[in-house]
Amino acid sequence: MVARKMMAAVPGLALLAGLSACASAPPRSDVADYQAYRAVNDPLEPTNRQFYKVNDTLDSYVMKPVAEGYVDVTNQTIRDHVGDFVSNIGEPARTVNFILEGMPHDAGVSLMRFVINSSFGIGGIFDPAKHIDLPETDTDFGITLAIWGFPAGPYLYLPVFGPSGVRDVWNLPFAYFATPMAVVPTSTALTDFGYAETGLHLVNTRAGLLDTIDQIKATALDPYATFRSLYRQSRASEVVQVYQAEGRTPPAWAMPPSN
Amino acid sequence: MQFRRFLLMAAAVAPMVGLMAQGAKADPISASEAQAFITTAGQQMAGIVNGPGNQQSRATALRTLVNQIVAVSQVGDYVLGRYINIATAAQHTQFQDLFHQLLAYNITYQIKAYQGVSFVVNGTKPQGDDVVVDTTVTTPGHPPADVGWVVEEVGGKPQIIDVIVAGTSLRITTRNDYASVITDNGGNVSALLNAMQHQIQKLSADS
Repeated sequence: MVARKMMAAVPGLALLAGLSACASAPPRSDVADYQAYRAVNDPLEPTNRQFYKVNDTLDSYVMKPVAEGYVDVTNQTIRDHVGDFVSNIGEPARTVNFILEGMPHDAGVSLMRFVINSSFGIGGIFDPAKHIDLPETDTDFGITLAIWGFPAGPYLYLPVFGPSGVRDVWNLPFAYFATPMAVVPTSTALTDFGYAETGLHLVNTRAGLLDTIDQIKATALDPYATFRSLYRQSRASEVVQVYQAEGRTPPAWAMPPSN
Repeated sequence: MQFRRFLLMAAAVAPMVGLMAQGAKADPISASEAQAFITTAGQQMAGIVNGPGNQQSRATALRTLVNQIVAVSQVGDYVLGRYINIATAAQHTQFQDLFHQLLAYNITYQIKAYQGVSFVVNGTKPQGDDVVVDTTVTTPGHPPADVGWVVEEVGGKPQIIDVIVAGTSLRITTRNDYASVITDNGGNVSALLNAMQHQIQKLSADS
């Protein structure tokens, strides 16, 4: 529930970012530099970098120590099941998005995954669906907008949420409504469950990235730029995977550049 | 979820190749040749990482192997990107030297985390004149990672020129990382060289 409240604030944060400091574009006469500036597409870079620093500080003093403690008291098997459980809660949103994207096969697989994993998988703690040729394919409303033809737009680095973009940020309010908990009558128990689920999700995800983030920070010359590049490429790849899971050839615009 | 999965997979292969890029003008390579090359290279890498000796000796052996199977100089030129036309000859030479050093330090820095690594080659697919060899890399304590090794014939022999993890290119990531340093410093290549030297000093102190 905490995440849902925070998600509701995101469009406002995006607007705030839009009013903030902008990077200086090179003159159009400097063709190479101007093209590079357009390719990076991060006009709010000064503000984004400030938010990156804020998140990095929060992470260093809060999330990372908590995740390390969580790893100390759990094992990989437990963390895998927590990941399966959280992923299963997100499955209805994926089903809806696949329908909106016009991907009936993907939508059917997603729906069956939710039914099977919620029942035989004991509320999603286990993932028996993947063993019967129903693998998970990820999607969200940002991907849906991409398939509808919306370009990624300028890069955004959001407080708390991290890497995003002017198109992808709209997944956050969408996800606020597209959850099984949205259809359950409000109660104290549901609120508590929401806090627990959100906290577990954050900590479990951060725990899985402990070594990885340390390595990127240690080896990248500019971690902010590295995370930006990884995010952009990863999102482009997700669009391709949605088409491929549906058995369709991705359109040319969806294919990542070859160099 | 996908971004998280990518990050996990990227970590699994980063020390294997470190910093990737494209080769110079290359001849086409056959799928069977590329697959055989990666099968052998994967076995050699796993053999070194899991083999006898202390961490330093294994890192040295791995660096030697990486220099044999990866087109490191061509990778460096790709990573430098359009700034190769701006850099002076001396800066280009220094960049290549620092690039090789950074690769070596990155391998040393990360080799410890990859004890128990294993490779399975799943198949190949064409990518222009190159061949992508799809593998599954398994490291204890991490989920299996699907990793594509882009192989090209460079100098008459197969060489790795890129690593694709969840559709994401490590050479493009590194090029964007380096380009950011240069553009943030007014297009000055010397800023990149300084940052690379600083990074080497930091990794040297940590190793």
